[in-house]
Amino acid sequence: MNPILSTKNLQVEFSGFKALKGVDLEVGEREIVTIIGPNGAGKSTLLDAIVSKSPVAAGKVYYQGKDITNKNPYEIARMGIGRKFQNPNVYNELTVFENILLALKGTHGIFDSITAKLTQTKRNKIIDVLDRIGLLDYAATPVSSLSHGQKQWVEIGMVIAQDPAVVLLDEPTAGMTPEETYMTGEIIKSLVHNHSVVAIEHDMEFVKQIAERIVVLHQGEKLAEGSVQEIQNNSKVIEVYLGREKIDVAATT
Amino acid sequence: MTESTIGIVRRSQIPTKLITISGIILVILAILPLILGEFQTSLLSKLLLFGTLAVSLDLVWGYTGILSFAHGVFFTLGGYAMAYYLKLNLSAAGNTYGVDLPDFMVWNGLTELPWFIAPLKFFPIAAIAMVAVPAIFAYLIGEFIFRSKVSGVYITIITLAISSALTTFFISQQAYTGGTNGITDVSRLSILGLEISLNGLYWMILLFTAAVLAASYWLTQSNFGLILRSIKENENRISYLGYDVASFKIFIWTLSAGIAGIAGGLFVPLNRFISPVYLAVAFGTQVVIWVAIGGRGTLIGPVIAAILLGQIQNYAERVTQDWQLVVGILLLIVVVFIPDGLVGTVSKVFKKSY
Repeated sequence: MNPILSTKNLQVEFSGFKALKGVDLEVGEREIVTIIGPNGAGKSTLLDAIVSKSPVAAGKVYYQGKDITNKNPYEIARMGIGRKFQNPNVYNELTVFENILLALKGTHGIFDSITAKLTQTKRNKIIDVLDRIGLLDYAATPVSSLSHGQKQWVEIGMVIAQDPAVVLLDEPTAGMTPEETYMTGEIIKSLVHNHSVVAIEHDMEFVKQIAERIVVLHQGEKLAEGSVQEIQNNSKVIEVYLGREKIDVAATT
Repeated sequence: MTESTIGIVRRSQIPTKLITISGIILVILAILPLILGEFQTSLLSKLLLFGTLAVSLDLVWGYTGILSFAHGVFFTLGGYAMAYYLKLNLSAAGNTYGVDLPDFMVWNGLTELPWFIAPLKFFPIAAIAMVAVPAIFAYLIGEFIFRSKVSGVYITIITLAISSALTTFFISQQAYTGGTNGITDVSRLSILGLEISLNGLYWMILLFTAAVLAASYWLTQSNFGLILRSIKENENRISYLGYDVASFKIFIWTLSAGIAGIAGGLFVPLNRFISPVYLAVAFGTQVVIWVAIGGRGTLIGPVIAAILLGQIQNYAERVTQDWQLVVGILLLIVVVFIPDGLVGTVSKVFKKSY
């Protein structure tokens, strides 16, 4: 496999605390990689380090063979890596349409933005994205008046509009109802036709719905990697993560 | 699915209603000096310039979220460029000492014109300097503060520091700047040997104000304006969409300083002097107040506020020395009860009722 995105021995430190202790991750073309792990395992930090939100202390991030470690976030975005944040990170004061318009792939320079016209092609592209995330009827609605789940979709829509080669999704279903979660899973599965996807998830049902390959992080290190089956039967994983969840489930029923 | 249901026609439509209303107001304002006396015409000219200065701040504060107390500085730098030009072009008869040197330089023992001031004797150079000096100054500050990790309130504190530092600097360089008094007794403005009358000056200023408002409106309605609003709401998010946020901030900051500079340049032939008073934080704060009271992100609001407050000051000054108390109370009322400002609140109510 020739990975489109990979990290080598990636380390991130927050004032002495090692949030990532050398993580190797490989993402192939048109592949969905799901990252799971308990709270504080370093899942979000891993995505943050890839897009330069958190500075990389040691190790490398490669994208299409190029070293992109600690590059400017906007340069990384322009190269083709899109990010959806954990809490919906959208523009509440703008309309749904404007949010998607901002994200739309294209030149992002100053003079282009001044002279840019809303062409039919762009309009159609935005309508297409709105249709995919099921928010066509909300195009002119300010994002502030949407539900939490709808805001998550707006941000997923922004990533789709950005049309990056690699999509990084941080808990795309957080705060969604089971129906919304299922729909999100279908959107993500449709993404893989022309994107690589890295998704962080907690919801195991959802993981089973979308996962091809799972990476388990624990205390800043990679604990295990494999298919849904392999991970479910991995004794180390059961001990630190799944087991606990099973106990939680048992306790609540 | 029609166009209006997806609410995206705003930018591609020509705002006919807006153009008509603006046109009518412009004609009324253009006729005004023929009715008003000299005092009111002069006052209104000044207030229009203050309003335009406030519009330039609205672009960076109201739209982009950068609160600056340094806009008085950009205004004044443009003002000094024009003041040097007007001072250097006094006829020998108007020059107290009969030498080809401004009076304050003579008093401070200079015997010849400093090389960096001499070129301002020529109108084209002075006109360029009026825009370029504040714009380049702003650009350099912008490169420094917006490319660094400094953000939010710290940028505002830096603008306060710039204002204070420049005030002190201009006062200390008496031989070159005229010190506390600034540059006084300047000549009247002539273009191509033709002296501009007060009404002529008023019309020039009105045209400038209208042009700045129109250009700012066009700019803020474009994708560029959308990006500015996004930077204001959350500047980090947009960088993960591929936008170089620092460049956008530096651009609008520099443009805004250039506009402020022209306003300052046009202010001098009207005011007949420029001094470090306009560099000081007090004046910078005044600009902030105009924008706050008029309504951030409304463009026209700051102009209305500048004119209204100027008129209030004009009358309050006759009644009491403590007219600034009136402005202070007004500001408090606005901040507490109508945080969107006059125009912001009115347009919100208007939108709701439809």
